[in-house]
Amino acid sequence: MGPNGAGKTTTIRMLVGLIKPTSGSMVVCGYNVRTHFTKAMEKIGCIVENPELYPYLTGKENLLHFARMLPNIPETRITEVVAMVGLEARIDEKVKTYSLGMRQRLGIAQAMLNHPKVLILDEPTNGLDPAGIREMRQFIRELAEQEGLSVLVSSHLLGEIQLLCDRVAIIKNGEIIQVDSVKNLLSSQEKMLWKVDPMERGKAVLTQLTDVSESTDGYLVTAFEEKEIPKWNVKLINEGISVLEMNRKLPALEDLFLEVTGVGGSSIE
Amino acid sequence: MIHLHTKRVRYITIFASIVCLFWLFCLGWAVQDYYSAASPIEIKQKEPEKAVDTGKFSLVALGDSLTRGTGDESGKGYVGLVTDDLKERFGKKISVHNLGVSGAVSSELKNQMKQKEIKRQLGEADAIMLTIGGNDLFQGGQTLIDIETAGIEDIQEKYLQNLKDVFTTIRSVNNQATVYMIGLYNPFIELEDNETTSSIVREWNFQTEDLASSFSDIVFVPTYDIFQLSVNDYLYTDKFHPNKEGYKLIAKRISPLIKWEEEKK
Amino acid sequence: MNKLIQNEMLKLLARKRLLIITAIVAILVAMFTYAQYKETQSQRERLGTMEWQSLLQQQIIDSQNRLGSSRISDEWRQQLQVSIKQSQYYLDNNINPSEPGAPTFVRMFIENSSDLFIPLLIMIIASDLVSSEHSLGSIKLLLTRPVQRWKILLSKYVVLLLSTSLIVLVTAALAYVISGAVFGYHGWTAPVITGFTVEGSNLNTSGVKLMDQWEFLLMEMGLVWFVAVVVGTLSFMLSVLIRSTAAGMGVMLAALISGMILSNMVSSWASAKYFFMVNLKLTSYLSGAAPPIEGMTLFSSVSVLFVWLVAALVVSFTVFSRQDVY
Repeated sequence: MGPNGAGKTTTIRMLVGLIKPTSGSMVVCGYNVRTHFTKAMEKIGCIVENPELYPYLTGKENLLHFARMLPNIPETRITEVVAMVGLEARIDEKVKTYSLGMRQRLGIAQAMLNHPKVLILDEPTNGLDPAGIREMRQFIRELAEQEGLSVLVSSHLLGEIQLLCDRVAIIKNGEIIQVDSVKNLLSSQEKMLWKVDPMERGKAVLTQLTDVSESTDGYLVTAFEEKEIPKWNVKLINEGISVLEMNRKLPALEDLFLEVTGVGGSSIE
Repeated sequence: MIHLHTKRVRYITIFASIVCLFWLFCLGWAVQDYYSAASPIEIKQKEPEKAVDTGKFSLVALGDSLTRGTGDESGKGYVGLVTDDLKERFGKKISVHNLGVSGAVSSELKNQMKQKEIKRQLGEADAIMLTIGGNDLFQGGQTLIDIETAGIEDIQEKYLQNLKDVFTTIRSVNNQATVYMIGLYNPFIELEDNETTSSIVREWNFQTEDLASSFSDIVFVPTYDIFQLSVNDYLYTDKFHPNKEGYKLIAKRISPLIKWEEEKK
Repeated sequence: MNKLIQNEMLKLLARKRLLIITAIVAILVAMFTYAQYKETQSQRERLGTMEWQSLLQQQIIDSQNRLGSSRISDEWRQQLQVSIKQSQYYLDNNINPSEPGAPTFVRMFIENSSDLFIPLLIMIIASDLVSSEHSLGSIKLLLTRPVQRWKILLSKYVVLLLSTSLIVLVTAALAYVISGAVFGYHGWTAPVITGFTVEGSNLNTSGVKLMDQWEFLLMEMGLVWFVAVVVGTLSFMLSVLIRSTAAGMGVMLAALISGMILSNMVSSWASAKYFFMVNLKLTSYLSGAAPPIEGMTLFSSVSVLFVWLVAALVVSFTVFSRQDVY
């Protein structure tokens, strides 16, 4: 995950051997991409940016074309992947007649031909309509669970990542800023919202205990620390302050992202 | 359907590979053959098919730029004009071989006469027209500049010798066709020294006619008189070759003389 | 490797490039056939005869008259002198250099199209073999398969060779079939003289050989094929270097046309013979026309072209297997 220009696609291109890293090396399933290119590629299925298949060939011809570039792909595998992406009805039609979503699915079908260990998808929902996005998301999750493979997805759509991914790496200016499971990342940023009366005194009490800020809609905001919260609550009550509301708030990934990358919202959808 | 497609691709690929190898072989063959020693060839001398007289009248024109028609903007020259006239008169198709080469001198004509094909064409000819000598004599105007030292007599002697050879050759391949030897005119008649040049041209013509008369059926056609009086009316802008009108007059001289045997009968 | 070649062939056929080229050739051949037909007719009309001897004699005379003109360049004069001597040799030996019939038409057509028309057709294919993958974006899928890059490029090059072979064949076949309808399909065994060597304006006939027209034709086709392969390889290289098909084609076209112009004016610039463009008219060595630069021989031209071909291949493969793909 990263803002536009952060280096997501570049990373993926290096990972699949399209461009050379200026320094360092890429290792996929134990194989260095530069020195053992074919070995590494056998483990990978990928779509870099849009799935640019040959529009003048039919879906099936495209799959046959890419199957011939892989070692030992039986004809049955093509039928399998076609079924997997649900393109049986249109597979003998020219790709130029396909919708973007169908192309995306055909792209995934060709990426799945070689039973990859890693599936790399660069912006898989780019350009799809909302229904298509949801369908694709579901499809990718199913794939990961049923086929037992790792899926590496790059995206600048934060909502998508939050729904789709288990782990996330945030990239900015070509550097990984943070890597963790989505859950951990989010929970580290959990907040507690307090509604107290009178507010000024409540704030004074809490400030003695922890960092407090004030939100625009009249809440006091502190970090969420499970063990401390009841103590703070008791302290407030002992001080004669009525606690009207206590809210545990999981932040959206978006907030986290903005906070971590320090990028303004303008470049984020 | 898909399978058929795959098969078709395979067949085309195989076919193309064979073609590719074949061309490679041809390339090798070409280079090898090009550099292999020439086997002394006996070129099968096919006998030139005896030309069937198709009932056409065959006209051959030999000589220099006058025969070529230089100066006539319509490109016809006297040969074209004579042909037009004959076509009209005979009401038949006429085959014309214009063998004139601009700038030709008598020695070149003599050499040209040695060619087999030329001999063949002459052999089939019903009438032969000839202009030669102008380039020998005038040498593009060179003679005029230096009349004294040019050695006219020498030139003339050689010319007559060449012309004699030409006539002999013509007669050796064809003793029936009439030869029309077209005489010289003096293009420089209006310039100074015209008396000298005129007398040289007259002498030249006289000698030519004299030579022609020693052969059978060689007709000397004079043109000197045509250009004698108003030479500039009939000369092209180069003041050497006739213009369209000049050629017309020459053609008018020759054309009536040409008769077709069938017509004669 | 076989499978990769099949892939490339499939893509080529699916895009119907060969069909388009066939159509272009058919139209052109039909036009030339008609032009040739008209030309013979008007010649007959003019000379009132249809004997080839007379026609050839007339050609010689016409050329001789052109020689007399002071306005022609030395270059042209030399070529004329050579062709006059050659025609004269044919005439003296009573061999018709242009026996009427489809095979002769094919020979003329191939000779005249060897340095521009056929290379152009090959360019249609060669110049976007690689760059079209770039413009489609499919190069990214192609290069992320477990196949070495050089193998992918090699399969493309093999397909180029195959389609070049087909195009040369199709051109000859169409020329034969279409012109035959007008001129008749006979003339395969008509005698042809080859082995003239040109020294300045002199024609050396000591090494001449006589062969059947079909033999001569096949040899010429071999040479034309080689020229086509070289031009194809160069466009192929440009297709790798320049990712825009149009730009690659433009560069190649400029080179070919400059070659045609150069051939007519480089006689005094001896080192120009190392340009590939002035070496494309290989067939003229067989038929015995003067080369554009004195001292050029069939062997030297083939060698020069071969060096260009190898260099283009080295550049193509090095660049393609190293270049970054965005």
